[in-house]
Amino acid sequence: MSSAAGSASPMVTSERTPGVRLKVEQASYAYAATDRSAPKFALGPTSFEAQQKELVAILGPNASGKSTLLKLLAGIERPLSGRIEVDNTEVSSLDLRTRAQRIALVQQESELLFPLRVWEYVLQGRYPYGKRLRFESEEDCLLAANALAQVGADALRDRWMDQLSGGEKQRVILARALAQQPSLLLLDEPTQHLDIGGKVELLRRLRRLADESRYTVLVVTHELNLAAEFSDRIVLLHKGKCLRVGTPAEVYDRALLEEVFEAPLDVEMRAGGRPRVILGANFGT
Amino acid sequence: MRPLTPKRVALICAGLGALLFVAAVVSLRIGAYPISVVDIVKTLGSGILGRWESIPSEHRSIIFDVRLPRILLGILVGASLSTAGTGFQALLRNPLADPYVLGVSSGAALGAIIALIAAPHAAGAVQIAAFVGAAATTAAVYFLGRRGGQVDSATLLLAGIVAVSFLSAIIMFLMTTMSGRDMRGMAFWLMGDLASTLPTNPLPWFEALFFVFIVAGGAIYATSSDLNLILTGEQEARHLGVNVNRVRLVVYVAASFLTGLAVSVSGTIGYVGILVPHVMRMLFGTDYRLLIPTSAIGGAILVVVADTLARSVLSPTELPVGALTALAGAPVFIYLMRRRVR
Amino acid sequence: MKRTVPTRSCAAIAAALLACVAPAFGAQSVPRNFTDEVGRAITVPAKVNRIVSLAPNLTETVYALGLGDRVVGDTNWCDTPEAAKSKPHVGDPQNPSIEAIVALHPDLVLATTSINAVDTADSLQRLGIAVYTSDPHTVRGMLESTGHIADVIGVPQQGADLVGKLQQRLDALHARLSDRPMAHVLFVVWLDPLQSIGPSTFIADALRWASAESVVTTSQPWPRLSIEEVVRVQPDYIVFADDHEGQATKLADLRARAVWRDLDAVVRGHVVDVSQEIIRPSPGLIDVIEQLARDVHPEAFASARENSAAQANCAEGTAPCVR
Repeated sequence: MSSAAGSASPMVTSERTPGVRLKVEQASYAYAATDRSAPKFALGPTSFEAQQKELVAILGPNASGKSTLLKLLAGIERPLSGRIEVDNTEVSSLDLRTRAQRIALVQQESELLFPLRVWEYVLQGRYPYGKRLRFESEEDCLLAANALAQVGADALRDRWMDQLSGGEKQRVILARALAQQPSLLLLDEPTQHLDIGGKVELLRRLRRLADESRYTVLVVTHELNLAAEFSDRIVLLHKGKCLRVGTPAEVYDRALLEEVFEAPLDVEMRAGGRPRVILGANFGT
Repeated sequence: MRPLTPKRVALICAGLGALLFVAAVVSLRIGAYPISVVDIVKTLGSGILGRWESIPSEHRSIIFDVRLPRILLGILVGASLSTAGTGFQALLRNPLADPYVLGVSSGAALGAIIALIAAPHAAGAVQIAAFVGAAATTAAVYFLGRRGGQVDSATLLLAGIVAVSFLSAIIMFLMTTMSGRDMRGMAFWLMGDLASTLPTNPLPWFEALFFVFIVAGGAIYATSSDLNLILTGEQEARHLGVNVNRVRLVVYVAASFLTGLAVSVSGTIGYVGILVPHVMRMLFGTDYRLLIPTSAIGGAILVVVADTLARSVLSPTELPVGALTALAGAPVFIYLMRRRVR
Repeated sequence: MKRTVPTRSCAAIAAALLACVAPAFGAQSVPRNFTDEVGRAITVPAKVNRIVSLAPNLTETVYALGLGDRVVGDTNWCDTPEAAKSKPHVGDPQNPSIEAIVALHPDLVLATTSINAVDTADSLQRLGIAVYTSDPHTVRGMLESTGHIADVIGVPQQGADLVGKLQQRLDALHARLSDRPMAHVLFVVWLDPLQSIGPSTFIADALRWASAESVVTTSQPWPRLSIEEVVRVQPDYIVFADDHEGQATKLADLRARAVWRDLDAVVRGHVVDVSQEIIRPSPGLIDVIEQLARDVHPEAFASARENSAAQANCAEGTAPCVR
């Protein structure tokens, strides 16, 4: 994947001020309690920042509060306390369309009701721009084509969505998110249904997107090694609490990880300063 | 990558519009009273120029008071029903949804039957009562079909089914108490009929109908980009900036309005709201920016053709137009479905 | 000699007397068999005292025969004559209560194919009740039916008298109208949508007796007609059978409707509203036929009208009374 495709067009990376893209300050969230007692906190006060060209992994086992944090970042829910800002604007104060211009969320896709071609699907990512009832312009088409190129899915352009493989479909969904030209790219457990080759390919792509196209990428995951290998920063969550924020080397402490993931683990430091996690020696006993 | 352009929409609609024009012209020619094409042109010309004396009064009567209003009514009703059908299919996320599934037509039928019992000879009473019934049912089903303050497809569908069965029971009860003579009016209305006598001055009626169609149809068309997105997934649409709740409310109200209006003036004509969107989808794709206008014109064509056949197949006897749309609609539908499966 | 001869002759005379008288006794208690108009074999007692009628026209017929007091039950719709309304009701003609009928212990139940369900007659027959079903398709058929019903009830003479009188009136009407062309009429069953009658219906036959021919040519019994056809044939008269609103209201209504108001008949005011009895095969039908004949052939009754007009003026005092 040549960087020319990504950075050649000046519009892929907009003229946003470099620096802190995402700022999360003491954000917390709780679902309303059913028995009128103290609300059960799904996410305790969490703070971290993310910059342009950074890939941040939100790491934790199931029920650690990852999805809640994602919802807050995407603006689906307002934080109970604290603030979440993207490009110095509070996310919950944005209207729907502006929010869609800043933040793109990539989730597992639901069933399509009617057949749709790949390029039509990706073009829908241009919806937040222009009038509500809109016909796509040349610029829209260019941007959509760019997005497809960025995920290496040029060849899929005229295919039908329901004929794609799992990996192909995920690339297309990613392309649609890129067509939104967001500052922030959010991905919710994107490696779930992929084999190891697919996982690596996806993370590599995300890494490239961050480096070359200056997106800020946030990936919610529980994959320890992928997170360690590809992310700049890790936010470690456990039972609704943010335990640690830092580089993989800083966060991957054996005792901490064992406690969080409730499994015997060993942490190795590899060349390049990135840790690797393997099952502990006493696994099986 | 060839996205939909306004020009393409206009081109396709013009083509369909031409077909509609041809259907209307043929329909103008057909009827129990024989009028040659030459005489039709003369009559139309004199009418437009305002020179009424130069044509026989019978020709004027037949063309301007019988056939033309019927064709115009057919166009409006057909366009309203198909547009409503496309809206409901998006709203309920179900390609088999027709405009009557949420109970609007049952409410209208109940209003009509009450009017037939209470005031059988009052002019326009049936139409007004039918529309009131439709509006009331729309509101009731909406409030029943909400979940967490928002329109929810599954709950809405259930509420509609409940409404239909409840209203049908009342209608059946009332029909058993009606005398045989009054039933006649009801039977034709339930099958769909364009021959209800229009009031003495139909022009304001038509203007009102046209106005409502433009407003409601326009409201639905304005959401067509939104609907395209919603159909790929509601959550995804929200994340792309679509105000899903507002869109659903607008579509629900507008489509119910269109259905209620069509049913109030012509009874429940079946198949138009479900078949036309399907055919248009198969021909022109699922993009709602094209689907809505093509469905509207397609529906108009279908009703005009069906009504022309209804008037001519057993002339001078007339069949109810709903019988023909059903007779023709079912086989066409089956054929199209089989083609698609292959 | 002893008195044996007188004993034997007494016995012979007694036997002869008995033989004369016996038939009279026997006739009173022997049930009678008939076949009704749909082919059902029924048996009625010698004297039919309790009659249940399941249709308005049959109720009317029984009353016309002078046997109203023998009617022990009729339907909700039976309204002619007035007395019929106060008889015990068994329900409406399409769906009467079998129990109510049985509870009245009728000797005979009268039904007709035009309004009653076959099931009703079948059920009653299974319960051992005699049901006579009439099936009139024409006016003459109605007269014959009336005669048959009189026979079944056991009053053949009264039946013959009634039928004779009605036939006389029809013949007189026919004579008066025989040299006039038939009037072409549109009989309106319903306006929205427009529905009329076919040529083989009972109503069409009744119209013919009034020298009026329905303009509908299709063979369907209740055709839904195109208004264009009405414009094409331009009927002489438009006939309604509503009698709720009256002729003037009907005419005003038609004058207010587009297309209708331009019809010759409407322009000339030739709109007639006759009694609903025209759809009823009963003796009262003859009255309606006569009324209709007067309405659509006014010239044939001119002298009669002049007479009645003169009488009216005499009553009002606006003209001297003559003779």
